[in-house]
Amino acid sequence: SRVAMKCVIGGAHLRVFGRAIHAIARISDEFWFDPIEKGLALRSVNSSRSAYAYVFFSSMFFQHYCWTAVSQPRQKEKQLSLPCKLIIKSVLPVFRCVNVLERNVEKCSIYTNINDHHITFKLFCKHGVIKTYNLMFQECDPLQAVFAKHMCPNILKVHSRLLADTMIHFPTSQEEVTLSVSPMKVCFKSYTEDNTDFSRTMLTEIQLSPDEFDYFQVGVDSEVTFCLKELRVKPIAFSMEDRVLEASFILATLCEVGEETAALRPAWRQTFHSFFFGAVSCKERDAVSHTFHSLATASDTEEDFVSCCRNTR
Amino acid sequence: MPFSAQPPASGEPYVLTASLDNARHLSSILRAVHFQDHATCFATANGLRVTVEDAKCIQANAFIQAEIFQEYAVQEESVTFRINLSVLLDCLTIFGTSSLPGTSTALRMCYRGYGYPLMLFLEEGGVVTVCKINTQEPDQLLDFDFCSTKVVNKIILQSEGLREAFAELDMTSEVLQITMSPDKPYFRLSTFGNAGSAHLDYPRDSDLMETFHCNQTQTNRYKISLLKPSTKALALSCKVSIRTDAQGFLSLQYMIRNEDGQICFVEYYCCPDEDITEAEM
Repeated sequence: SRVAMKCVIGGAHLRVFGRAIHAIARISDEFWFDPIEKGLALRSVNSSRSAYAYVFFSSMFFQHYCWTAVSQPRQKEKQLSLPCKLIIKSVLPVFRCVNVLERNVEKCSIYTNINDHHITFKLFCKHGVIKTYNLMFQECDPLQAVFAKHMCPNILKVHSRLLADTMIHFPTSQEEVTLSVSPMKVCFKSYTEDNTDFSRTMLTEIQLSPDEFDYFQVGVDSEVTFCLKELRVKPIAFSMEDRVLEASFILATLCEVGEETAALRPAWRQTFHSFFFGAVSCKERDAVSHTFHSLATASDTEEDFVSCCRNTR
Repeated sequence: MPFSAQPPASGEPYVLTASLDNARHLSSILRAVHFQDHATCFATANGLRVTVEDAKCIQANAFIQAEIFQEYAVQEESVTFRINLSVLLDCLTIFGTSSLPGTSTALRMCYRGYGYPLMLFLEEGGVVTVCKINTQEPDQLLDFDFCSTKVVNKIILQSEGLREAFAELDMTSEVLQITMSPDKPYFRLSTFGNAGSAHLDYPRDSDLMETFHCNQTQTNRYKISLLKPSTKALALSCKVSIRTDAQGFLSLQYMIRNEDGQICFVEYYCCPDEDITEAEM
């Protein structure tokens, strides 16, 4: 589809946008820039396809948001065909020093450039200075993560602060963390294998009681292990939502033999963190692999689901 | 100028003597032009000029007037020698580079003339170090023939407005393109790197702009690797003047205040880059 988009980000939202870019940068060197009628979606996936990030800014996030579909057939001069891929390294300098962004920048306008393969970021800074970045992108197939949002017997909602405070106790060398949930308690602990030598290892375990969660529902006792670095089977997703912005970070998880991990259903409310399980595939690549089971690709809308979590073997 | 050097041990009088209570008044300025190992020192009664060049395209000059020194004497009309600037800086900062309040390194520089080494006597906290740095035949220096009558465009900016821009220049771009114009965009710095192009526009009525005298629209490109070292001078300076002549030669002059509030100047001259064809915007 060929589209043209122009938007303006102002004030405090600049910092949020910059932070989203930095967060996505942790997953991958490049991201999908996907403006749709309702707003702007940014997506990225890491090279091993074990982590996926998605941030959606609704049109209300922007001071101004304008999106048009271009219906004319492709002409000599190339028209923008979105979504497109941008290299993170080229965008990060635009949003360097996120914390001082508000102080130095009044607003940022982003628009697609119909004549070339460029997306322009224009920062209106103090002292009348204007910084313009014309960044090249490459057209590509859409990136979509597949997850079944509605089949979730377990729902946990917790303030992001609590989650951050919990994770900080794990040593940075800890690669895998196991989350186990039961109706009575939630436990994060270092992942251990059968051959773990307990006399030589430091293990960390943090237990949370249900009343520490903003919303707690456990229908099925479950245990999942997840990490960012290695390729795993069933993903765990962290998502947050605001009135104008929604973000999901999906990480692949280790498959426990004999376990059926059901997906969690997120309910959309004010800022929170929730977990849900689903699977990730990228339309570009062969979705059938030993560790990732092929799922029909779906968009982010509620309609296009596939019961992926039931066929994960 | 008073001549109060110590009696020379080997009979030859010193042609240059200079003393500073605070060696940083010299070392910090020299750092602003330290992009090559070698420099040419040129001393006259007015003061000391240290010149560094590269690629026959760029020249940087650091000026330290005679008034900056506590003692300064030149016995000939001019004294010139080539010296290893890296070694000179290492010696000047031999007691360390951190500036604790109240402490400073005192310096006395002596030179007997052609063929003799430059002598440095450095003292801090009662400890004295003597350095002898060999000098060489001075190089033939470039003459950019840049004088105020030939200037086509000139602006003076407060350095704080440019510091971040220079520090963040897209070094994947081969060139830094400078546009100066009486019309929009007035003053524009552009790079054309791997990811795309970037432009930094300063309007003529910006409060950073102290002087704006642009008569003609000029766009010139300079090799970015040659200009990048000027970032050091920019970081030290409070103001910078940017001038171009009809051929597109660039003059950057930096006004630097030292710790005692005295003014020194550093200037960079650069030839426009002719290899690059019309760059895409």
